[in-house]
Amino acid sequence: MTEKEATAQGEAPEPTQPPPSGRKNAYNTTVDGGGGLVRVGAPPSPLTVLGRAAGTIWSVPKARVGLILLAVFVLAAVFAPLLAPYAPTDNSFARAEGGSPAHPLGTTTAGEDVLSQLIYGSRVSVLVGMVAGFGATLIAVLLGMSWGYTRGFAADVINFFVNLFLVIPGLPLMIVLAAYLQGGGLAMIIFVVVITGWAWGARVLRSQTQSLRSRDFITAAQFSGESSFRIVFREILPNMTSLITGSFFGAATAAILAESGLSFLGLGDTAMVSWGSMLFWAQNSNAILTGQWVLLFAPGLCIALLATSLTLINFGVDGLSNPRLREGKGR
Amino acid sequence: MTLLDVQDLSIVYEPHGAEPVTAVRGATFRLEQGEFVGLVGESGSGKSTLGFALTGLARAPARISSGRIAFDGTDIAHLDGEDLRRQRRGGFAMVLQSGMNALNPVRTIGNHFADIFAAHEHVPRGRRRDRAVELVEKVKLPASVLDRYPGELSGGMRQRVAIALAMSLDPRLLVFDEPTTALDVLVQRAVMETIIELQREENFTAILVSHDLGVVLESTARVLVMHEGVIVEDGPAARILQDPQDDYTKMLLSHYADPRAEVVELPGLRVAGSQISTTGEGPAGPGTDAAPSGGAKARTGRTREAVVLEGVGKVYPPPRRGEDPVVAVDDVSFTIEPGDALALVGASGSGKSTIAKLITGVERPTAGTVRLGETDVGSLRRAGLRRLRRDVQMVFQDPYSALNPLHSVEYTLMRPVVNFGGLRGLEARRRVLDLLDIVGLTPVEQFAAKLPHQLSGGQRQRVVIARALACDPQVIIADEPVSMLDVSLRAGVLALIEGLREQWGVSLLFITHDLLSARLVTDKILVLNRGRVVERGETAQVLRFPEDAYTVELLDAVPQPGRAAD
Repeated sequence: MTEKEATAQGEAPEPTQPPPSGRKNAYNTTVDGGGGLVRVGAPPSPLTVLGRAAGTIWSVPKARVGLILLAVFVLAAVFAPLLAPYAPTDNSFARAEGGSPAHPLGTTTAGEDVLSQLIYGSRVSVLVGMVAGFGATLIAVLLGMSWGYTRGFAADVINFFVNLFLVIPGLPLMIVLAAYLQGGGLAMIIFVVVITGWAWGARVLRSQTQSLRSRDFITAAQFSGESSFRIVFREILPNMTSLITGSFFGAATAAILAESGLSFLGLGDTAMVSWGSMLFWAQNSNAILTGQWVLLFAPGLCIALLATSLTLINFGVDGLSNPRLREGKGR
Repeated sequence: MTLLDVQDLSIVYEPHGAEPVTAVRGATFRLEQGEFVGLVGESGSGKSTLGFALTGLARAPARISSGRIAFDGTDIAHLDGEDLRRQRRGGFAMVLQSGMNALNPVRTIGNHFADIFAAHEHVPRGRRRDRAVELVEKVKLPASVLDRYPGELSGGMRQRVAIALAMSLDPRLLVFDEPTTALDVLVQRAVMETIIELQREENFTAILVSHDLGVVLESTARVLVMHEGVIVEDGPAARILQDPQDDYTKMLLSHYADPRAEVVELPGLRVAGSQISTTGEGPAGPGTDAAPSGGAKARTGRTREAVVLEGVGKVYPPPRRGEDPVVAVDDVSFTIEPGDALALVGASGSGKSTIAKLITGVERPTAGTVRLGETDVGSLRRAGLRRLRRDVQMVFQDPYSALNPLHSVEYTLMRPVVNFGGLRGLEARRRVLDLLDIVGLTPVEQFAAKLPHQLSGGQRQRVVIARALACDPQVIIADEPVSMLDVSLRAGVLALIEGLREQWGVSLLFITHDLLSARLVTDKILVLNRGRVVERGETAQVLRFPEDAYTVELLDAVPQPGRAAD
């Protein structure tokens, strides 16, 4: 035993000098493996932060599938004029045809090419998803965080409005609003989706803000003379990146589904080619009865896949601010 | 009889996407049946990792890379799942640091015992209740706790329950991982005594993992000292105390002192009578010659004012309807003259943190007045509070939560300089670098660019202190500034605080439960018990010749390696 012990001691690194100063902390160097200490310089630029975030999401297999799916849809939307064989509103073809080399997915009862409509339709869904998702998240961040940080009367007022939007059933409100604003086109749909979609995110962000508010570094910022605005947006906000990213993808998913729903109900602009309006026209022309199931199936599948891709990406977002989830695989 | 035989054990952490780190290297030791052994080391030394491995609780990303752990002849290092679970009965158990938070809040204590008995089926159904009563009585709790929920018990009681739960499988080896660290000073001592007694009566083998060499030397017979994953010293407690072999052990021992002694000395700090001085060798002490000019300039034109509390009381409304209101502070009066240092000591719940909140204007007193010079702090509104913070700054207890993890040191220090100092651009930056120099974080350029996670606890606390100094305040309130730091780092931070006070003439309110640090940096002391002042006077006088029973109790709770030898 003594022999073993001796070897163990022999391997020991040089005992540190009594270091009463925090300056030379021996264990820090080993834990960081040197890497943490060597990396000195300007704080990382926003671009590298973004790159690292993307890398983290990419490293989760589920999220990777989601990113690839999303990329396919985004590319289809951007390059629709190049990819689509015909113009989406070109109704010069034979009506209600089945699949053929000229029209792989057939034509609609109005005589338009289904594949071209599908490709052009992705433009509306991707655009609405991104813009409305962004809008809803923005409102959620602004209201949720000030709601979480302030106390007293102002918080009560916000509380009232958020609860109001939470208890009103979303779809009926959306339908009523859309019916009122008939003819507003895409902007109207985005507006309606944003108005009905921000409340839940605000609620989630508020509770996280409240828990961060009681942390010492927030008190310390108050002692540094920071204004409330700066504390909320420079101290608290960056600590909630993953929550906000997650809430964006959630809101975007909801927006895509809502847009399709509204268009399907005929409350959108029925002249505009979107997956929802394709479903609307297919339903109107009894596509199932005439055996043209592709007319219903293809846009439905696209909506489902786009929504799924965003949900899959959200699995990777969890790892952004929680390193423990990144290491979870070993269990 | 050898119960545990550890041979050349190494444990590595293999985090996903990072370099593996060896946390324990070649640990080799043997434990006899009935031994009580202390395992000491500072944070990051690998002591908890070793403790977890010994009880088969090592989990990914930690992995036993080599060596064997023979428990009563069986190698448990490579046992898996079910075999390990069976081994736990009559085998090994662990009491965690946060064991008191390990209880399920929606189940009664009795249910916790029932779960264990049901999982191992070693106690017949009819006997289970009796057995549970027996166990809680062993840890000095009444049988009635079995019908209560964890939330209804105090921290100390919950930790006792955790110990009783660990005992319920009749373990022959019990590992205590910092069993008292999360508890209040006075409770700490009581729980520790129960553990010692229990070990003596039941004669199980026990390992006490702790960062506090004082506590370990006081309670155990044999001590293993760990440093950077290696066991550097292994010997009887008395021998380690009198004749430490390893430099690291010697260094740890040098950081203990008796606050009652006439001369108290830690590396870098020395107190004789009521004279405090920072000795030259202390690397932490900011050299007087290095007085930065930027700070001295800011000093001019400001008068120093005293903090005066007169008959201050704070009563919180009752937590539940029908209960009595909570009296946090009751009729407290004191004055901190400019440049003075006052210690406020007491166990948790004694109202010392409430007083800090009253002085900083976070809370308003319900009786009496708090004044800084002519300003009545209690009546300040938002803008007034902001002005107050120019003069009254805080150093927080936990350096890990007091810095925003996403901001660089430079940003953190820049904010008060910009907000209060009115400096911009290069000037502000120069002031930031000055501040870093003052608190001894050199080379300053490098430290300015770092993020909090790249700093050690002691370095973080220095940044916190630098931030408090940034606006050149009159009063600094330090709320347990060293209690979260490793013992060897404490003296450095204390010397820094002491040096700053001497050099800048800042008044200091030093809130702590640790009488040794109070003795080291303050000249006046106020002992609080349940919101009332029970004793006051010169620090040296009060601590050397305490009059109140409560002060004596607090003094007894200070761990002293020397006491074991008596």
